[in-house]
Amino acid sequence: MMPIKQKTTENTDPSFKPLMRSLALELCIYAPLVTIYFIIVLHFAKEPLIQLYEQGSTSYAFLTLFLILMQGVLLEAFTSWLLRRIGLR
Amino acid sequence: MEYPIAGVIVSPLILAGTGFVVGVLGGFLGVGGGFLAGPLMFWAGVPIDFVVGTDLAHMTGKSLVAARSHRALGHVDIRLAMLMVLGTVPGVEIGAQIIEALKPRGNTEQVVGIFYVIILSLIGTFTAWESLRAIRMRRTEHIDAQDAVERTGLLYRSRLFRIPPLVQLPVSGVGEVSVWAILFVGLLTGVLAGFLGVGGGFLRMPLMVYALGIPTHVAVGTDLFEIVISAGYGTVSHALKGNVDVLIALTMQTGAAIGAQIGVAATRYVSGPSIRLVFSFLPFIAAAMVLLRIAF
Repeated sequence: MMPIKQKTTENTDPSFKPLMRSLALELCIYAPLVTIYFIIVLHFAKEPLIQLYEQGSTSYAFLTLFLILMQGVLLEAFTSWLLRRIGLR
Repeated sequence: MEYPIAGVIVSPLILAGTGFVVGVLGGFLGVGGGFLAGPLMFWAGVPIDFVVGTDLAHMTGKSLVAARSHRALGHVDIRLAMLMVLGTVPGVEIGAQIIEALKPRGNTEQVVGIFYVIILSLIGTFTAWESLRAIRMRRTEHIDAQDAVERTGLLYRSRLFRIPPLVQLPVSGVGEVSVWAILFVGLLTGVLAGFLGVGGGFLRMPLMVYALGIPTHVAVGTDLFEIVISAGYGTVSHALKGNVDVLIALTMQTGAAIGAQIGVAATRYVSGPSIRLVFSFLPFIAAAMVLLRIAF
């Protein structure tokens, strides 16, 4: 019979409830802010993006990748900042 | 709301909600969530060629967020990911070309849909079976979960076939594994990514765990890192073919960003085999959704 191996990590945090509370609070603040952001983005970017797509240009393909990566990084930074700002991280 | 590029009217709340759900799954299970997001978009009325391209675009950004979080936790094996990318990128292009070849025939939805159902059912069945076996073995023999997988899974048998060149993966704790095995996993999942518009994580993660012997938590992080590169390539490839609606992708990503954080946090509280067991029934849900759309 093989001995039991205990795998531990320094990142393990037993405080499950506070974590869930902080994420719920973050979600409440995040949702309306992101909705406003998204309406603004759609307002300014919709027409130029449609035009680029209809032209079938290579720039549409690379702009798509750029926008999706940039938004990903920005939203991650924003959610992390939000957690620190409300003092729950 | 109208999304004129794809020519479809869908509520942005449905898209952001879909993004949120697959974001949680992505962070939690280490899969891009495309296997669920694709069927959800398809079910919502998005044409299948746009489902494939847009799903890849949305996953690129979402996976970047989740991969950064996993890298901070030390769950990314860069060497393994880069080797796998060498197989995945050609695979993605093969898959994208298959979609292009199907377009003139007018039966893309049926063919892709049927493949979705077959692949998802197989993955769900295999993962449930293997996870239950690993959990049962851990209980009865008192061994570590990874050891349980190694003893019963493909790895234990595949180690008999050490086709050179071999590579060491110290971050994953794997002594030696054939480069061909890594490339094969990459190519296979790449074809699925390009053909079905999924990141391929739902297949790559089990293959990394069972066939290559990578610990589950490293497989989760490495898979997400690999998806950033392969789905990024797939996004450009499909966008050049007119299959990406960036507005839909951006809408979905707003929900996915917060979902991914919640998913990553949840991995601290659940063990490897349990993660895989949770993962096992999700493909069946996605398969049912695709069947509904094809049938009606």
